[in-house]
Amino acid sequence: MHKQSMPALYGADALQVKAMTSGYGALMVLRNIHLSVASGSAVAILGKNGMGKTTLLKSILGFLPKQSGQVLLNDEDITTMPAYRVARQSVSYTPQEQALFADLSIKDNLRLGLPRDSLLAERLTAIYEIFPFLQDRMQQLAGTLSGGEQKMLLIARALLSRPKLMLIDEITEGLQPSVIQRVANALSTERQRHGTSMLIVEQNVEFALQVADHYIVLKRGEVVLTGLTREPSALSAIEAELAM
Amino acid sequence: MIDGDLIRKQLLRSALPVLLLVLCAPWFLDTYTTNILVRALFFAMLALTVDVLWGYTGYLTFGQSAFFGVGAYAAALVFTHLGFGPGYVILGVLLAMLAALLIGAVTGWLSFYHGSTPLYASVVSLVLPIVLTQVLFSGGTFTGSSSGLTGYGMPDLSVEDWFRLVGCLLVVLTTVVWLFVRSDGGRILFAIRDNEMRCSYLGINISVYKIALLIVTGIVAALAGFGYASFSGVVAPELAGFVFGTEVIIWVALGGRGTVIGPVLGAIVIDWSSAYLSGNLPYIWKLFLGIAFVLVIVLLPQGLLPAVFKGFRRFLPANTSSRALQLIQAEPKPVELEPQSLAVELKNVSKNFGSLKVLSDINFSASAGELVSLIGPNGAGKTTLMRCMSDGEERASGLVCIQGHEIKRIAPHQCVQLGLGRKFQTATVFDSLTVGECLRIARTRIDPPSFWRRSAQLSLPPYVLEVLTATELDQKLDVVTSSLSHGEKQALELAMVLALEPRVVLLDEPTAGLSMPERSLIGKIFIDLTSRFGLCLLLVEHDLDFVREISTRIVVLHQGRLVLEGTVAEVVDSELIKTIYSGSVGHA
Repeated sequence: MHKQSMPALYGADALQVKAMTSGYGALMVLRNIHLSVASGSAVAILGKNGMGKTTLLKSILGFLPKQSGQVLLNDEDITTMPAYRVARQSVSYTPQEQALFADLSIKDNLRLGLPRDSLLAERLTAIYEIFPFLQDRMQQLAGTLSGGEQKMLLIARALLSRPKLMLIDEITEGLQPSVIQRVANALSTERQRHGTSMLIVEQNVEFALQVADHYIVLKRGEVVLTGLTREPSALSAIEAELAM
Repeated sequence: MIDGDLIRKQLLRSALPVLLLVLCAPWFLDTYTTNILVRALFFAMLALTVDVLWGYTGYLTFGQSAFFGVGAYAAALVFTHLGFGPGYVILGVLLAMLAALLIGAVTGWLSFYHGSTPLYASVVSLVLPIVLTQVLFSGGTFTGSSSGLTGYGMPDLSVEDWFRLVGCLLVVLTTVVWLFVRSDGGRILFAIRDNEMRCSYLGINISVYKIALLIVTGIVAALAGFGYASFSGVVAPELAGFVFGTEVIIWVALGGRGTVIGPVLGAIVIDWSSAYLSGNLPYIWKLFLGIAFVLVIVLLPQGLLPAVFKGFRRFLPANTSSRALQLIQAEPKPVELEPQSLAVELKNVSKNFGSLKVLSDINFSASAGELVSLIGPNGAGKTTLMRCMSDGEERASGLVCIQGHEIKRIAPHQCVQLGLGRKFQTATVFDSLTVGECLRIARTRIDPPSFWRRSAQLSLPPYVLEVLTATELDQKLDVVTSSLSHGEKQALELAMVLALEPRVVLLDEPTAGLSMPERSLIGKIFIDLTSRFGLCLLLVEHDLDFVREISTRIVVLHQGRLVLEGTVAEVVDSELIKTIYSGSVGHA
């Protein structure tokens, strides 16, 4: 199976990946990937371990140099840009592994996600609604938070910058069920209010189906299944593909 | 056996031709060049010791020159004050080795005590040569103060003979270092460089390894210094100084740290060319060297040699000689199974970060054969509790017993010796090693590795083999772990912890990042570990379905307190769980 075009739900594409091939040295991890995220839509990337999900995000951002193909954001290839310029295009990346400043306070970590300090107070109110524990602990060092709390801080920082495109890597890992639900609601609200586009890598299929409206399943670096999450058969189709 | 063949082939192909070259070279070189090169060969030995410490183990040291200076002064002092003769040479050599041993032991102890940082160790290495040169300056006529010592008796050897002698010794030393770093035991150096914390939680006493390494490399450096003083007939305090120590680092960096040949060539080429340049272009040549250094650091951060190799590799056929590692099943150490004996016992354990109370008065115990799940909201103190069980320094007060032994204030590697294994929340593996090498490091405590050989086989307990098969890591034994996915790293760390054959295993979200099918396979292995092999498993998990399937007992932690303990049915269906876990959890 090669190119599978995705049915358009929304307007123009926020992100387009065209025929991208990428990998580590001679090891090819991704082959001929086509993918588009329409403005305001959310795409979930599913797949077993080692199938190239994280590699896909890293290649889109140019952290891992792609070998061929294109990644277009507003018709500009972003893979050759330095990371700070990608971020200035209002793209946020929530990686799987530690991306916090452990020796800075929670507040300072949050401030670093913002272009101007003056925005902090205003936007924090919405963040406190999702993660109330942050409110009383703004001065605590981020490194002393537990693993799950660090994940929450990461997503809070991403939301605070109000990005146009969010790339999120396994955010539910290590979170308790009720918080996962909260995060799902927060992401949906963010999309409704601000028309944010999202690309979400997940192991938690239920969460992914709840938040996204498209899904793709990666297997050995190729897209083997795509579809709309609202289709009733989506869950069973995905589970069948993952079990293989 | 196969490894032996490979070593022989490599030696025949590389060491033998170089040896021939060393023996014949003096016929083609003029005396001045030979003279310069002998000095460079001694320096190359010193560079090799820095390479082992810095390039392979990650300890940036400015102080190896001090050991070189100690050896040089041992020769000069004995020959000046006592006389020259075969007996005095032996005495001098013994003195040089003894002094290096003492200085290495003291410096090592100061630099690598439990909890010291790499920066601290580097600063100590900087202080050592400074102190030593001050001692030499203040030695009056005994050490010759700032003018050093000269005019002492020297061996009656021609420059050509010196060249052949030192050249052969350098070839031997290089071969020994090559054998060491590629051996199974030598891989421990890489592991220490990559992740010290993981090493200590595999039961490896890093301080002892590092101190021993510093002593051995110190003795080698001192012997090189001894040889240099016997050859040149002059010693000065600068030989032991930190400027010289820094120059050695430049040679190693330019040649290629973390390779065996790079630093040797770096030292020889730079010392030889600077001898010529300093004659032709006095003073300004250092500027050239400085510019070359900056260029290499910016353009080729790995050094020149790796870059050259990389260029050549394009024209060579792909390396097909790498042999697949063969896994064999090891019988786990027999343990007398007393099902009712307590594997873990905690009494009134408390912990606080400043004024924040993270754990208060935790009382808890678990027996062999039990699988206890520890659940609770994010930030309840679950990981902190595991930390208190695996490192004696962590808790503020209370008692922790592992297998009936109180852990007092002992370090993690000693807790491992009591039968403890701990898997971290964020997978820790050794990034520059392969899957197979990581597993072998994990077996260090049970199967001490050879420091000369690489074994083609790796014996692992049956349950480790099951984890590897379930996650298909057994197909990836030769893959470097940095290219593994997040979930594969989790599975590898789990396999490494189980390879310790622990009796008590602390697992912090062991299935995070694994897919559903992999999860259920791992779950079955956990049940097997407890019921068939009698291990005691403590598990932190958020997936209540998973917990329900595998646990024998559940403990609930909330705001640092143990709030509920009971069977699966009792806990999962309790009101408390519904309110604090699945329900609204916005509390501070």
